[in-house]
This record gives sequence, C-alpha cells and structure tokens, in this order.
Amino acid sequence: MLEFGYGGRILRADLTKKEFRIDPLDSSWIKSVIGGRAANSKRLFEELNADCGPLGPENILIFGVGPLTGSLLTASAYYTVTAKSPLTGILGDSAAGGQFAAEMKLTGFDQIIITGKSERLLYLLVTDSGVEFVDCPEYKGRKIIETTDAIRREQGDSSIQVAAIGPAGENVVSFASIVSSGNRVNGRTGMGAVMGSKNLKALAVRGSCPVKLAEPLAFLSENQKIDQEILNHPEYKKRNKLGTTMLMKDLNSIGILPTRHFQEGICDYVDEISGQKLASTFKVKNKSCFNCNVHCSRYYLADNLEAEGPEFETLCGFTSRIGNQSLPFALEMNAYLNQMGMDSISTSEVIGWIMECQEKGLIHPDDLDGLSITWGEKEKIRQVVDMIALRQGIGNELANGTKRFAERFGEEARKLVMHVKGLDIICGDPRGIKAYGLTYAIASRGADHLRAEPYFELTNRKEEARKRFGNEKAADRLAEEGKAALVSYSEKIALLTDSLTMCKNIGLCMDILNFERASSLLKAGTGFDYSPEYLEEILEGAIHLDHQFNRRLGMSKKDDTLPERFQKEPLTRGPTKGSTVNIQKMVDEYYKIHKWEE
Amino acid sequence: MIHVDLSRCTGCRRCEVACAFFHTGKVSNRLARIKVLNLYERGIDGPVVCIQCEEKYCLNCPEDALTLGSREQVIVSPTVCTLCGACEKACPIGAIEIFDGIVFVCDLCGGSPKCVAACTEGAITHVKVADKRESLAEIKKSTKKMSPSQRRRYYLEWQGMALREKWSRKHA
Repeated sequence: MLEFGYGGRILRADLTKKEFRIDPLDSSWIKSVIGGRAANSKRLFEELNADCGPLGPENILIFGVGPLTGSLLTASAYYTVTAKSPLTGILGDSAAGGQFAAEMKLTGFDQIIITGKSERLLYLLVTDSGVEFVDCPEYKGRKIIETTDAIRREQGDSSIQVAAIGPAGENVVSFASIVSSGNRVNGRTGMGAVMGSKNLKALAVRGSCPVKLAEPLAFLSENQKIDQEILNHPEYKKRNKLGTTMLMKDLNSIGILPTRHFQEGICDYVDEISGQKLASTFKVKNKSCFNCNVHCSRYYLADNLEAEGPEFETLCGFTSRIGNQSLPFALEMNAYLNQMGMDSISTSEVIGWIMECQEKGLIHPDDLDGLSITWGEKEKIRQVVDMIALRQGIGNELANGTKRFAERFGEEARKLVMHVKGLDIICGDPRGIKAYGLTYAIASRGADHLRAEPYFELTNRKEEARKRFGNEKAADRLAEEGKAALVSYSEKIALLTDSLTMCKNIGLCMDILNFERASSLLKAGTGFDYSPEYLEEILEGAIHLDHQFNRRLGMSKKDDTLPERFQKEPLTRGPTKGSTVNIQKMVDEYYKIHKWEE
Repeated sequence: MIHVDLSRCTGCRRCEVACAFFHTGKVSNRLARIKVLNLYERGIDGPVVCIQCEEKYCLNCPEDALTLGSREQVIVSPTVCTLCGACEKACPIGAIEIFDGIVFVCDLCGGSPKCVAACTEGAITHVKVADKRESLAEIKKSTKKMSPSQRRRYYLEWQGMALREKWSRKHA
C-alpha cells in the first residue's frame, strides 16, 4: 500500500483513441527507483519499443513527480518529462521547477504516461478523477502564457497549472521545450517536439488529493534543519539576489565564461551583461518555485517587455556566447524563447556555431540561403531564431539540431559543433572545470552538467575532498585526479535530488542533500525503510540502466567524449590559460569505478 | 489581521504550505486558509486571505455559526454550521471556501500565524486590527457571479494594478 508520500496511482492517456486508464502504482516497483527521473527512465525502458521513431505515435511521453514532491520539503518543486529524444535519438528528459509539479502531485498521479497521436490539436485536463481530452484547434500558434491563461479562463479556475508547448513545439523543432508556470522550462532534449508530434498543446493539472506524510513531526523537524542550513549558507544572500545569473561574473573571474562560441573564456564586457547589472537595472522583484525559501528567480521589466528569468544559461547563451553586448537584447530573447517554447542552449549553440564557421570561412552565405551573420548582430539573430521556431527557409533545417545540420559540411565545421551525443553543450568551459567536462562526456542525455553538477570542485574544500573522494585534488577545478570519484558520487546525489524532485542548486550546489538526510526524509515521508545503503545501491542501479538503454540505442564508449577543441586547444588568457582536458583518462577511470566494459 | 505586501511576494506558496500543514498535517492548497495565485500574464503573485473587511459579509450566516474572536478573526462553529455555503457565497474575495466538509477561513492560528513565520521575504505580516478597515463594497459588486477561485483572481488582479503602476514609474 502506498498511503504516504506517493500519490499511489499512475495515469495512462492514449491520444489516438482518446481513452485513459488509471492503474495503481506498484509499491515494490516504485520502491526500487524512489520516483521522479529514475522512475521515468525505468518506465520508458520497460515500455518503449526502443527502435521507434521519436516523433511517431509510439514514443512514450512521461510526466513524473516523486514521493516528496509538493510536500512540506523545501524546494520539492520539480517534475521530469521523459521520452526518446528527437534531438539525440537516445534517452531524453528534462526537468522544471515552478508550480506545475506540486499541482500535478495533488491529482494523485505519480506518473502521467501519454502515448499515441491526436488528429486535432488538443489539451489534456487532468484532475483526481482522470483526463478530459479537450480539442483546441484555435490554440494553434499561441504562445505559452496566452495558452495558460486561456485554459484557466475556459475552466474558470486560476489555480490550474499548465505545461504547454509554443509554436516551436507545434512545428516539431527538435529542441523545442515545454514551458510551465509561464517561464519555467523543460528545455533540453526536445521534449516539446515530442508533445508537438502528438498534437498535444498542453497538459493542465488541478488536484485535490493532499500530500500525506507517514511521520509528519519527524519530517517537520528534518525540514526545519534544512531551512536553517539554507538560510545560514554563505551563498544564501547572493543566490537570493542574483540566482544563477551570479555565474556570469563568477565564471568570468576564473576564465571559463563561454565567449564567442568557446573561443575565449573571458568576456571583456561582462559587467554590462552580468547578473548584478540585471538586478540593479531591470529586476522588479524576486520569483520563486514552489515551497522554496531561496527565491532565486527574478521578474524583470525592460523596453516594452517583461518576463521571469533569465537563468544563467540563457543569459550567457545570448550574450557572451554569441558576442552580444546588450543586456536588454538578451532579456528580449529570454522572453521570446520561453514564449515560443524553444531551448535557449541549443538555439544559442546553432547561432554561435554559424557565426564562428562564417568567421573562419567554413560556411558560405550561399550554404545558408544567403544568411551572413557575425557576433552580436541583433537583427539577424532575431531573424534566425524566428526562422527556426517557425521552420521557415534555412530555419527548417537548423531546427533539426546543430549536429545534424552540420553533417553536410566539411570536417573542420563539424568539429566546431559543441555537443556530446547530439546535445549542445551548456555555458561552462570544461577546460577550467574538469569534473564538469567529465559530466558532459558521460551524461546519459548528452552534454549536460545537471546529471552530476559537481559544484564541489569549485569550492576548494581540500580536506573534505580527501575525506569524501580520497584525493584533495577533487576540490581543485583544474586537476583531473579524483574527478571520476567526485562525478560518480555526485551523479548519485544528482539522481537523488531528481528523485526527491528537489532543486539542484539547493540539494547539490548548496550541499544540503546526502544519503543520510534523504533516508530520514523518505522514511518520515513514505514510511518505507529507505536506508542510506539501499538508496546508494538503487541509484547505482538506475544509473546503470540509463547506460544500458543508450547502449541499446547505439551509443558506445567512444561517444563518451568532448569536442576536440576542449581536448587540444588551450585557452589563451586568464586563470584557465593553457589548460585542456584529457577526457579519455577521466572516462577510463569513471568506467573502472562503474565496472563497465569498454 | 494578515497584511500582504505584494511587491515582496515571490509566489513561493510557503504561506499556503505552512497553513495547510499546521492545521491538518497535510499539504494541499485546498486545505489552506491562505491561497496563493500566480498570475503569469501579469507577473503578479500573491496570497488571498481574510482581510477582516469593514462589511464582514460572511457573518450574515443563516445558522449564526460564524462569530468574531478577540482578534476579529472569523470563528466557525463546526457543530452549528450546516455547510449551507452562505459565507462562501458572501465573501467578495474568495477568502472563505468549503472543502471536504470544512469551512476554510483564516483563524490567525490563535494569534501567532504560521504563514507569517514561513515567509522569508517579509511579504506577510501580522498587524493589529486597523482603525479603518478596508471596504470590499466595490469589489463585491464586480464579483457577484464568480466562484471563490475567480473572486480571488479578480481581487489579486485589482491589487496588482497598483504594483504594476509602481513598477512602470520606477522603470521609466
């Protein structure tokens, strides 16, 4: 019996037949994966025909929450969307905070599993009792907040939370996102395209099944400790004021802020595009995810537009990464991409890559329908972004992803695509953060930092590094020693935060979550005896399962690597000058720890 | 009474979580006596809770189940209440709502409101009953035909207009 923590039910909706079914959640099944991301992966591996086309009706789209989502647990605000990725062809998933997860939890469904394809554009209204299939052909072309507002008005309830796609998702752009809470984005691996391919405009949720805990007072006491640790954390004030945008100046100061498409790690105009500048100029208030006491997000007003955000990735992606010096322009792009429903990381990579290739003469304007674009050209960036979202002209091909588009060009141009396994690399130059480099290489959804978020290597905690990883160099960002151990530890904590659906900035970067604490939270939350050892064991199992699934889809050890630039080309100035990544060595060590074959 | 400063509200809903948890041991916005809305189209987030209005529309209870406490908080007698819904219909801002056989309205937690303690941004404060109470007569006219949820939205949008004007002035 799943009386506590879990909703205890799963919902299956078939868009082809417009039918749904409610199944009990099997308690031994869920206990073997906790919930959240790990449960989504397991479901996908068990039920998906791995050879299916990611954009066909056979692909399975899973929205998942965990046993502590929407509970008293601080920052338990995340939900994960999982499917086979149309961008990479392997495991795809993406998480988002905001308010959607907590409301989904109240429907009593731990997973919502969507299959098939509707003939007409529709949205799903999920409540405690199941699904209503609502045709909405008139929603075609609508942006995210418009869609959210329309559904709330139509249903007469403003507490409804909506995860929707924008025009980019409808047009099946391979890196289209799903957006909920207005501006909270499931950005990576093209989950919005999977939704679009099913003609599913939105998933709306409104529930009334309260989240019950097995031992409320024990849970409260552990959560009060967490709250205090967060409020007393040395980074609290900075995170409260700047959120992830603090990384603009922080990464620049150590020489790893991607500038002009990773050609440099220092941006001379960083003060003009920094989080500090945003806070002092355009921010009007803090924003927050469900039940969080950090309130790290921001709402801003700038030149006739307003939105929430941007997070660091979008800010860097649309400033230094593509040579743009205008902060208002980046804010415009953040609002636009969020409302069109398109991943800012992949979008900025395709633009930056074209800019560098054209600068080097590797791509001619004739190859791009006459497009010629260089660093920071605002009007042209607007045009390209629009053409991709609407699949117009050359945008129709760029919408298939940078790696795929580059296949028609020579080796030099192909080598400049900053990706791993087809997923575009985030904003953080791995030449100065080696554990992150290893994480990009091994992450099961392709180039990604969130699979391990080894923030520890930036903390200089040498004594702690020796204790935890047997090597004080694990806390030295430029070292490669000890990094495989660090990554294999923190990828488990990362999966743990994803399973508890906690925020990674808090769980990992602020070092709030560990096996012991998760064990007591889960015990008080669900009543199950999740010992720290058992947690570690099942997380290892889940990581192994991801690895096996991608093997089945054609990945091998040679795909666990980094673009050549990071391995051979040293940065030329600043505190990371001269450094490159010996990725092979770290991957070898990482495989050894996991006891994986070649 | 509970005083809300919308300019400081981030929409985190910790007030709502604390309210539901300390009254029921569970978490759900349906079980909270302070309910937060996130109006994405306006950038406005905020809780709606009993403001101890001048008119006290809810007290016009056919069963006399509602009375005022020493802090002017609304007290519902569960033995007298027949769940007729008159108070829910009467409140112009949706601050009283019946769910699962219980009338949910702010009781100030006996004088030490948990929502105030839960708010780390200083958006919610507990103030003494003001000399001049806010009148909801104008709001009442506009929200007559609405559900409690729609009334909360209307009230929050109305409050949000002043904040948006402040933002525009600051930005200009």
